[in-house]
Amino acid sequence: MIKLTKNDLDKIKAAHQDDGRDWIKVGMSTCGIAAGADKVYALFVEEIKKRKLDIQIKKCGCQGMCYSEPSVEVRVKGLPDVIYGKVDKEGVIKILDKHICGNTLVKDSIYELRTKR
Amino acid sequence: MDQKIVFIKDTGIENDRTKDYYALFLNLLRENSLEDQVQINRVADIGIYNQGLVVKIFEQDVIYANVKEEQIKEIVLKTIKEGKVIKELLFQSPPKQLRIVLRNCGEIDPENIDEYIAKDGYQALNKAVQENKPEKIIEELKKSGLRGRGGAGFPTWLKWKLTRETPEAQKYVICNADEGDPGAYMDRGVLEGDPHSVIEGLILAGFAIGANKGYFYVRAEYPLAVQRVELALAQAYDHGLLGKNILGSNFNFEIDIRLGAGAFVCGEETALIASIEGRRGTPRPRPPYPSVKGLWDKPTAINNVETLANIAPIILKGGDWYAAIGTEKSKGTKVFALTGKVKNSGLVEVPMGITLREIVYDIGGGMISSKGIKAVQTGGPSGGVIPQEYLDTPVDYENLQKLGSIMGSGGMIVMDEDDCMVDIAKFYLGFCVDESCGKCVPCRIGGYQMLALLDKITEGQGKLEDIEKLKRIALAMQKASLCALGQTAANPVVSTLKYFFAEYQDHIVDKKCRSHKCKHLLNYSIIQDKCKRCRVCLINCPVNAISGDKEQGFLVDPKICIRCGKCYEVCKFNAIAKE
Repeated sequence: MIKLTKNDLDKIKAAHQDDGRDWIKVGMSTCGIAAGADKVYALFVEEIKKRKLDIQIKKCGCQGMCYSEPSVEVRVKGLPDVIYGKVDKEGVIKILDKHICGNTLVKDSIYELRTKR
Repeated sequence: MDQKIVFIKDTGIENDRTKDYYALFLNLLRENSLEDQVQINRVADIGIYNQGLVVKIFEQDVIYANVKEEQIKEIVLKTIKEGKVIKELLFQSPPKQLRIVLRNCGEIDPENIDEYIAKDGYQALNKAVQENKPEKIIEELKKSGLRGRGGAGFPTWLKWKLTRETPEAQKYVICNADEGDPGAYMDRGVLEGDPHSVIEGLILAGFAIGANKGYFYVRAEYPLAVQRVELALAQAYDHGLLGKNILGSNFNFEIDIRLGAGAFVCGEETALIASIEGRRGTPRPRPPYPSVKGLWDKPTAINNVETLANIAPIILKGGDWYAAIGTEKSKGTKVFALTGKVKNSGLVEVPMGITLREIVYDIGGGMISSKGIKAVQTGGPSGGVIPQEYLDTPVDYENLQKLGSIMGSGGMIVMDEDDCMVDIAKFYLGFCVDESCGKCVPCRIGGYQMLALLDKITEGQGKLEDIEKLKRIALAMQKASLCALGQTAANPVVSTLKYFFAEYQDHIVDKKCRSHKCKHLLNYSIIQDKCKRCRVCLINCPVNAISGDKEQGFLVDPKICIRCGKCYEVCKFNAIAKE
């Protein structure tokens, strides 16, 4: 067991700040998984490996948009952060082809815009 | 790549013309040879509703709403080409949601403690143990005005103070995660999305009241939540945030998980305590309150998941910060599980004092169908319905109570013209009758009798004097039941009687159900003009209630018909009438 101190907390905090890498985040709470988020996540992992992309794939909890699960948030430098909703296998491929490799957002499937860029 | 990015969405209720506007934009961009510099995107949801064409332009961060077709050219020429803002079209509305409890949900990986720490996690705990003034935490909570989010709204600081002041060496804290209201899943969302925020709240509760042991009481129907809490606890132990000498202080604290076996009544604090002790989960009379005699007769503070998730931010940012949010008597934010006939169902967190209309229309995106909103049900089986006339009421503990409902744990079910209020009352009452532990008579027998009366009414056998009987039994249950389950079980009936008496009358006097929900009051018949004599209804009827032939047409025999609705479903020509 490691005994954390105040300094350790700060160190962990500093180490986990945004490192500027692109990422994909899949909502993996009960609502997401029920809608198929685990399959979406697995396909992302597989495809990223196959295409040797430099992008992080992460899990997160429920973003609150249960009506549009499975939802996937994507950050690619130069583009605004967006959340895609109702993502299926086809959607995963579209996101990878267009958004991540082609720097073009996928049409008709964005459910929330994050204002950061 | 320095592209301008434009998002468009037609948010009108009528037919969606986003695609037409998209084509217009594309043409204009081409005419002005801007197509390489601009990426235009149709989105499925832009977060603004019923405001016509909405255009968002990054990175100028400009939002235009109610854009007319002819104004698109102006937007392309002025804003997109020259970067000038068109003031008349600007849409300015502060965000409706405010996330304190859900601050990390959907942001961080719930299975990684480091990500929680990176979001200032466990800093509040650190602050508390370094200062080592438990009274100050309670003082801060008093300033914040935080009230219990489980439903009753008891001031959290007072609960902690009473527990702290009871002279006893051994004390306990419990996190009540036995969320059982139909249609409510706020606690699940928090436990699955950010379990450490609740754990930190529970440790702080233990520190404030002087306990060294805490329990998570989670319902077993939430396997993923249980798994994530277990993992989070293991990580917290690994990091020394639980156990002995937390963060180098003299404070020791341990947490165990207890699973609830799915009894609704175990969300009641005394029943919950009995269940943790290994006894049958039934409530006992209070006082003595758990703050004096709780778990194993020791002083115990029981708090709801959402209450605990509020603690760390309050300690870090101060009680005054929290008290600035919300209304006079209800401070802070509340998470609601917005469900029912609303477009965007999901978890929303809003400051207290927001109106129901804002929640349903501005956040929920309005109704799913063109049918009008009839009522909003809040507070689950202990709550009531709020008719659409009161949609502009600011949401807080007192206002909801005045309307005959309660805040409850945060279920919010939107109902439209298709929902029969008698049927709704029957559903909730039926739930409470199923879940009654049977210990006290008013709840055990009162609920059963009321349900029998409602059954009678929905079957068309009701009499007007049954209404008086319902009211009398409801009053007896409210006054004499042992715990909140029985005391509030009649609320859905009482509130529907108050606001939708006409519907009860319809059922009793006219033997009609306006919403076509109560099947005993329905009659199926064949509209001969529309019928194409295809025999599909006859073939599908499970009880052979439909007879006739191709020449003479078909008829439904109401005496044989069991009102299953199969013929209505299978008819391709809408030739079955339901009334």
